[in-house]
Amino acid sequence: MRTQPSTATPEIHHERTFRRFTLSQRLEHTVIFLSIAVLLITGLPQKYRSASWSQELLSTPERVHRIQDIHHIAATVLTLEVLFHLVNAIVLLIRRKLPGHIFLTLQDIRDAGKMLRYLLFLRKDKPSFGKYNFEQKVTYWFLFISIGIMVGTGFILLFPVTLTRWLPGSVIPAAKMAHSTEAIVTAIFVVIWHFYHVHIERLNLSIFTGRLSEQEMRTYHADEFEHLTGEKANRAETGGNS
Amino acid sequence: MLLKKSLLLIGLGIFLLVIIALAPSPATAALREQQATPTPNPKLSIGNDTCLECHAEPGLTMKLEDGEELNLYVDPQEYASSIHGKSGYACVQCHTSVGDYPHPLFTAADRRDASLKLYPACYRCHSGEYERSQDSVHAKAMANGKREAAVCTDCHTAHAVRQLTDAKTGQLLPDARAWIPQTCAQCHNAIYQKYLTSVHGSALMGEANPDVPTCIDCHGVHNIANPLANAFRLNSPELCAKCHTDPMRMAKYGISTQVLTTYVADFHGTTVNIFEKESPDAPTNKPVCFDCHGVHDIARTDDPQKGLIVKENLLARCKICHPDATANFPTAWLSHYIPSAKQNSLVFYVGWFYKLLIPIVLGGMALLIAMDFSRTMLNRYRKNRPALISPEGEESNLPAEKTELVTEPLVSPPVSEAPHLSHAPETLPAPAVEGPSSPTPEAPPSPHVEVPNSPAQEAPPPSDIEAQLPSSEEAQPAPADKVPLPSVEGPEPPNEEATHTDAVAPADTPVKNQADAESADEITTLPQLPDEEAANE
Repeated sequence: MRTQPSTATPEIHHERTFRRFTLSQRLEHTVIFLSIAVLLITGLPQKYRSASWSQELLSTPERVHRIQDIHHIAATVLTLEVLFHLVNAIVLLIRRKLPGHIFLTLQDIRDAGKMLRYLLFLRKDKPSFGKYNFEQKVTYWFLFISIGIMVGTGFILLFPVTLTRWLPGSVIPAAKMAHSTEAIVTAIFVVIWHFYHVHIERLNLSIFTGRLSEQEMRTYHADEFEHLTGEKANRAETGGNS
Repeated sequence: MLLKKSLLLIGLGIFLLVIIALAPSPATAALREQQATPTPNPKLSIGNDTCLECHAEPGLTMKLEDGEELNLYVDPQEYASSIHGKSGYACVQCHTSVGDYPHPLFTAADRRDASLKLYPACYRCHSGEYERSQDSVHAKAMANGKREAAVCTDCHTAHAVRQLTDAKTGQLLPDARAWIPQTCAQCHNAIYQKYLTSVHGSALMGEANPDVPTCIDCHGVHNIANPLANAFRLNSPELCAKCHTDPMRMAKYGISTQVLTTYVADFHGTTVNIFEKESPDAPTNKPVCFDCHGVHDIARTDDPQKGLIVKENLLARCKICHPDATANFPTAWLSHYIPSAKQNSLVFYVGWFYKLLIPIVLGGMALLIAMDFSRTMLNRYRKNRPALISPEGEESNLPAEKTELVTEPLVSPPVSEAPHLSHAPETLPAPAVEGPSSPTPEAPPSPHVEVPNSPAQEAPPPSDIEAQLPSSEEAQPAPADKVPLPSVEGPEPPNEEATHTDAVAPADTPVKNQADAESADEITTLPQLPDEEAANE
């Protein structure tokens, strides 16, 4: 293969990494990840009550109560996390400490169009992205709405008597339908969309480490890289991975 | 003397003959045999006429130990019209101990005691029914000392036993269906009165309607279970469903046969359904059919007074378990309707929303990912075989890079990235050559070497960027000399790792440094790389 031009002096590396997520954001992801896992594990048997595997789990009143209690505890944790996320985000946005990269813009629609053309072989390379690419924004907002629906309908189901003081009764079965179906939608979404993008397409552990390497920045977040460094990202992007 | 002796012998002989003549007759022997295995044989030597000579006499009584009189009168007409009388059974087939006269001594403390002593005779022919009744709630009450608990003869009577089932089909005879509630009413009169007002009871007793249940259809015969037990409660929806899911029977009255499935689909029913299967004796406070519809006073749902269609009536039922329920609450229950545009439309439209959302949105996402995956794979395949590449008609934003990419060696599967990233993500090599986004197997230890011209320029680390500068970098030649070559770093990684881990320093001061500009310059030299590589090879 190739040889080093100057072997006399030891090679010096200037390795840069870029902060992608703050510690708080990484912890939030962990809380969401764990609470949703528990909610799914305790929720699925309740949804599929006619299946024999579920009936074996829920065989006695004590077990039903226990699994519901666990579900409610995890739901409370998730709700607190959602409240923290919203309040924290609003405060930081107002204080201008959090750039609004995550919000959807017209550029995202253009990127989606480019992406589609790329996937249809009408375009050679993927569009270049900023801090959050088109796919990551979809992940965030899809889960934002999903969790919003799950929390909202979950509390309707938890306090049906109280809520029907103000709401029509049919909200309860509608919430039940939405809660159990949205859960499946969310689970499918996480599995097919999120897992694909962070595990299969490339292993992206920045939500745990908090950092991206320079190469990753140049490749996947070229616009942000250029914005931060003033360098040209010079991504050689033929859509190998992104 | 001889005469006297002969006279004595004759006398003895006569005595013997008399004794022989007085010996037990063959007829009584036959009777004893008969008692052992009773068969309906009216030609018995002790026929019913023999018994009735005395027992058809009204007023025939005997005194019991408590001084009460036990009526020993049997109405010959009544017995003759009973199922046993019609079939020619003899009194002594049940009353097996009284074949002789005078009868052997029979004593009982009181009249109930007399009944309890005599009813086991039913076992001789009806052992199955007798044994089943020993499992009944009545037998358990009896065992607990409740002497009033029903035994065979309390329901069937002793001498006027009715024919209740069709001998061929085994089905209850129509008049028996109405006779049963009246029989149970002997003890359970309050319930009977309620039953008479119910939709079932009024139809049976008023119209002799054969479709409605009589007592035993729900409670069973002989082995009547305790209706207050958990098991009865959990099983009750299935009990009601026996008729209420029968399309033939329900069609006559325009009643939905979906009552069970809709019940099981909702909160209450699902839980009851699971417990019924998995732990049938578990206590549950979840309502079953009769908690809302009534136990014995089941009314039509459109009954103006009691019907559950009247919102107040349903709310009253809800409030039994949900005391704080308000007027809106009852509609939380779908009233056995399957959601449609007319009934429970909100649920119906939410269902439709997801029926559309799942295939369109999630299906679309799955499709995009399939396309992305196949395109990614195709790109890697092409890179691996530069010779196969042919110019495509695709529009390209970066045509200059294409050649560069083509020459890039083998691309490793993305999995190979994992160890690097997870192990020491901050030391991940960042080659200036941006070709494959995943490093090649040879490439991993080939970090992009960025060496600034002077350390002074490097001093302020960039914002959000962590510059990791090994201490010895001043000694490095100018970056222009060091056009990064991905594979040159072979032996270096250990050093790299050590220096990087030490050198990591969070940089918070927001500065745009010149080093960035320099590295940008450096990158401009990249397109020459393929030529060099070719020359090396």
